[in-house]
Amino acid sequence: MKLVVLGKGGQGVIFFSRMIAQAAIKKGLSVCSTEIKGMAKKGGTVEIQMKIGEGLCGLVKRGNADMVILLSNDLIDYAMTFGDRIFSFTEEDIKAALSSVSMRQVNTFLLGVFVKKTSLFKCEDFSFLDEDNKKSFIKGCEYVQS
Amino acid sequence: MPRLYLSGNEAIAYGLIQAGVRLITGYPGTPSSEIIPAAQKIVKEREITSFIDWAINEKVAYEIAHSVSLAGIKSAVTMKQVGLNVAMDPFMNSAYIGTEGGMVVVSVDDPGPHSSQTEQDSRFFAMAAKIPVFDISNVREAYEFARKAISLSQEYKIPVMLRSSTRVSHGRADVEIDEQFSIETLHPHFKTLKDWDKKLFRYASTPKGRLSLHKELNEKIEKIRLTNRPSFFFSGDMLILSSGAVFSYIYELIEEHGLENRVTLAKIDMPYPLGNLEVSSFKRVITIEETYPVIELQLNTEGRRNGIVPSEGELTPDVCEKIFVKLNLIEPKKTIHVPPLKRPSLCPGCGHRIGLFAVKKVFGKKAIYAGDIGCYTLALNFGVTDTILCMGASISFGFGFKKAYQLAGKDQDVVSIIGDSTFFHTGIQPLLDAVHYKIPFLTVILDNKTVAMTGNQKTLSDNVSSSGESVTPIEIESVIKGLGLEFLKVLDPYDYTESVRVLKKARTFIREKSLPAVVIFRHLCVNTKEGISSNPKYSVLLKKALCKGCKLCILEFECPAIHFNEKENSVEIDYTLCIGCGCCVHVCPTKAFTMDKIEEKKE
Repeated sequence: MKLVVLGKGGQGVIFFSRMIAQAAIKKGLSVCSTEIKGMAKKGGTVEIQMKIGEGLCGLVKRGNADMVILLSNDLIDYAMTFGDRIFSFTEEDIKAALSSVSMRQVNTFLLGVFVKKTSLFKCEDFSFLDEDNKKSFIKGCEYVQS
Repeated sequence: MPRLYLSGNEAIAYGLIQAGVRLITGYPGTPSSEIIPAAQKIVKEREITSFIDWAINEKVAYEIAHSVSLAGIKSAVTMKQVGLNVAMDPFMNSAYIGTEGGMVVVSVDDPGPHSSQTEQDSRFFAMAAKIPVFDISNVREAYEFARKAISLSQEYKIPVMLRSSTRVSHGRADVEIDEQFSIETLHPHFKTLKDWDKKLFRYASTPKGRLSLHKELNEKIEKIRLTNRPSFFFSGDMLILSSGAVFSYIYELIEEHGLENRVTLAKIDMPYPLGNLEVSSFKRVITIEETYPVIELQLNTEGRRNGIVPSEGELTPDVCEKIFVKLNLIEPKKTIHVPPLKRPSLCPGCGHRIGLFAVKKVFGKKAIYAGDIGCYTLALNFGVTDTILCMGASISFGFGFKKAYQLAGKDQDVVSIIGDSTFFHTGIQPLLDAVHYKIPFLTVILDNKTVAMTGNQKTLSDNVSSSGESVTPIEIESVIKGLGLEFLKVLDPYDYTESVRVLKKARTFIREKSLPAVVIFRHLCVNTKEGISSNPKYSVLLKKALCKGCKLCILEFECPAIHFNEKENSVEIDYTLCIGCGCCVHVCPTKAFTMDKIEEKKE
């Protein structure tokens, strides 16, 4: 599986990619990725390309991604160069996250939303999360189901 | 064995420490900066006696690591590719002198370039110095090659280069880590001073001695060459030679396009010194390597010389696919247009921005602004940087530009702009020259007490090192005071009115006295915990009625928290980015921004 996670500094791009990688590793799959985060703190783009269960390197060719996880909607044109299947959170998803969990746990809530909406992974794959994050992750999963 | 999701740089750190390296030093530089912090964490968790910390620049770092190796302890030095330029003198010489304990030189290249001044190829430098070089092709190999490099160095008593690149160092993969760490005791071979093995013919060699050391070096390289064999994959009558990150892309492309019967792929772990390779059975031999033709020139193959491989830019999988088209291996694909991304800017609230805005206000658009390497390079966006060459060049350039206009008999204001860490790195020496020769220009030192660009490493002004040791803080002004400079002022650029006053005084001083002047703008980096918590915080508001839409705050100040609304012909504040620094209040000619203090500045 070839994934690209795109966004800006501070949006949790690296967090997202690492959680997904951890989940894949727990399932016994190989993971390779590449991070371009040049001057991310200065408004630059953070771009993670990732291969799960295949390949020697993390780089994904343009047009070849199975999914692009887009955290910053103004990057949509750039995201589309990697592939047509784009996942992004809706305004409702983000509002739900902000109203359901503390600021620190927003990302794990959204991870739950992602897992439920895409079904690339199962909730059990993320059992490595710590207590607080797990609670918020489950809330995110339940939000999608409801 | 635990399987960890490591970056290439972390994998290098594991490999080095595991192989018994007990001193690592270096200077931060993207994409090499994470090796030292990773190694610090590994030794701290395992309570391994070691010294792992930053040096003032790569030359000093190299010399420290080399002397430790001569004392019999395994060492490593880390840097980005342009850092190797700074360490070139000891690097070239150490090949002749050799090593005692294994010594690895980690140099990380940046094909692209993503965050560097050049796309230079460290393997070429290794070849020039006659130093063997391992070229890492993926994250798992980073762990393996770090250990191999130490063992090769130990065996042949020669420094060994470990060449990485952005894609490997900033790549991640699951890596199986052996928890068995070398537990060899750390006795230098001189347990007492008396035991110090002088070996003067080697360690203090004169030109005559160097001739025999050169012969010895050639013999070592010849022996290593004979052991250096590539590995072969697939079986076609076209041979592609490759090393480093690009090998992985080629391997994947051959599988993806089913070319296993048309191409043989040779993987070269050590691009220098290369052994003889029997290639007569192949119809064509092509080298695809990043970024310069190191293998291609040694083995006299096709590649860059006949235009098959691009001579600049990263050889991404997409570019490699185009090379395959040129080799008639695959049909051309539709080109995907990639839109440009937004350029980076200084952070909202960065002290550099308001300080340099004041400099521009006083010295005007006609002054020459000699810039340097660091975050403040981004002042290029708003017209306060005219030149960028390499670390420390701002001050030498200030000297040179001023001298050029003096020789022509013309007036010209010249301002050099340099950060605190870059000043320590290589800015001190040119300032000594400028003071000595009485060159009348201004040097602005932007002191944010951190190496911000590369991830906020500590500078010499700190009293605790990055490994937690108590260290002697070195203040920039105390170094400069020792030069007897007449005009030296230190101030916080957030005090805009005072900044303008001091800069005007500096300008008058330079013109009247015809001597150099230094202004130090000190403001903590807002991208650090201490910086953001101690930063003044105001409630900044925009009076839309007063905004005339002149865009001065965007074009000449470029705060990312200020956007322009075309419909309303007015700017607006993006409060998700604004940190309430209030600096924009000084910028607007129509006073459209206002600020109210909402929190006392914490001391």
